[in-house]
Amino acid sequence: MRHRLVSIAPTIIVAVMFALAAESAIAQAAKPAPGAKNWTPPKTPWGEPDLQGTWTSDDCIGTPLNRPANLGEKLYYTEQELAERQSQLARQQQNDLQEFVAPNQRVGTGPPSHWVERGRRPCKQTSLVVDPPNGRTPDLLPEAQTRRIPEGANNENPKADSWEDFSYYIRCISRGVTGSIFPVIYGNGQQIVQAPGYVTILQEMVHEARVIPVDGRPHASPNIRSYMGDPRGHWEGNTLVVETTNFLGNRTGIGLNGGGTPTSDALKLIERYTRTGSSEIQYDVTIDDPKTFTRPFKVAFPLTQEPGYQNFEYACHEGNYAMSNSLSGARAREKAEAAKKK
Amino acid sequence: MRKTLAFALVAGVLLLAAVPVWAHHAFAAEFDASKPIKLKGTVTKMEWINPHAWIHIDVKGEDGKASPWMIEAAAPNSLLRRGFTKNSLLVGMEILVEGYQAKDEAHRANGSIITTTDGRKLFVGSSAGEPGAPPRKDK
Repeated sequence: MRHRLVSIAPTIIVAVMFALAAESAIAQAAKPAPGAKNWTPPKTPWGEPDLQGTWTSDDCIGTPLNRPANLGEKLYYTEQELAERQSQLARQQQNDLQEFVAPNQRVGTGPPSHWVERGRRPCKQTSLVVDPPNGRTPDLLPEAQTRRIPEGANNENPKADSWEDFSYYIRCISRGVTGSIFPVIYGNGQQIVQAPGYVTILQEMVHEARVIPVDGRPHASPNIRSYMGDPRGHWEGNTLVVETTNFLGNRTGIGLNGGGTPTSDALKLIERYTRTGSSEIQYDVTIDDPKTFTRPFKVAFPLTQEPGYQNFEYACHEGNYAMSNSLSGARAREKAEAAKKK
Repeated sequence: MRKTLAFALVAGVLLLAAVPVWAHHAFAAEFDASKPIKLKGTVTKMEWINPHAWIHIDVKGEDGKASPWMIEAAAPNSLLRRGFTKNSLLVGMEILVEGYQAKDEAHRANGSIITTTDGRKLFVGSSAGEPGAPPRKDK
């Protein structure tokens, strides 16, 4: 008995440590930092709010875009739920450090756990969509319901005759504006660099660089269209407001990594970046596409700066073996189905 | 036994945790859930390429002949953030891979669990609270 107690003692100690750590982290997360209301963001030498640094949306990794229906209009977790999520994070972190494999560790054809980057604190929200109040993407208009979603990107039933059947993300072309900042399982880095008249955001995955003029110039002609659109920024107090239009239609959607029903050429995005502390930006984006959704909606989540976190190059096309592997997988599947019919 | 119990607990926790499935590509497009494999092989090359790294191994068959296999790994950037460096997996190292084979039956697999032959797990990363922390040294 004594032996058994000794053997579980480290587990108990670790559990208590996590509980204490969770409590302190929640206390920090739930209460605004002392003086937060009076916190004044730093300014650039030319007098604009300084948003520079490398930011990540990692803390909301795994938070669904659409809120599960059973949660109704509940946007935020309670403090107790956050504490539970914090200890789950801590257990996950501890598991990451295990040197030996658990005998029945999860095996499956999904991404292995070692592929996933981790948040450092639990996301306070139950969904990334914050408006409408049910936290769900509005209904699609009839004209959008017939828009094709690339079948090669379908996790449930992937089919592909050509590389053109894969999403622009899988083809290493683009995830679109929202897809490049919404939190996904890895590669969430956003490096902001400012110069007089410009804010540039370098986005790690699929290596986008958004150069945003903030000098008051008008949008480009509506004849000029692109995957990432034509952004124009201005300052409202300490908030950077970016309006992006001039998108090519039928490229990427508002889902994670630019998935889901592709948006139209009428898409207009209004993003707001507000620095709320030395290491946090509150980000939100209003998505208005009158040819796709029945109403505009809003997505929001925090971006944080983390010690040692930096962007790395993501030269996506370099070794995208998955493209040819998935195509040969589709042929193998056809062959197997044909053989079954015989 | 003690270890088994502790790890069974950890595994239980893992099973409870929701795993988001948004990787670069659809796994179901590339790998076949009905073809689980276990391989023991010697590392011949590690390709640190985007969007995903690939581990190359030679697997000896019953006839003693080695055949090359490729194991898909995470994005190089993620591997680095999880504490994996170019010294973590060296040519000549023997590893065990549990995963699923490619749909086209080529010698490719996703490596759900990758261990060294003495049971140590690869991809032992720095904790998520210390993203820049140096990787743990192999014992």
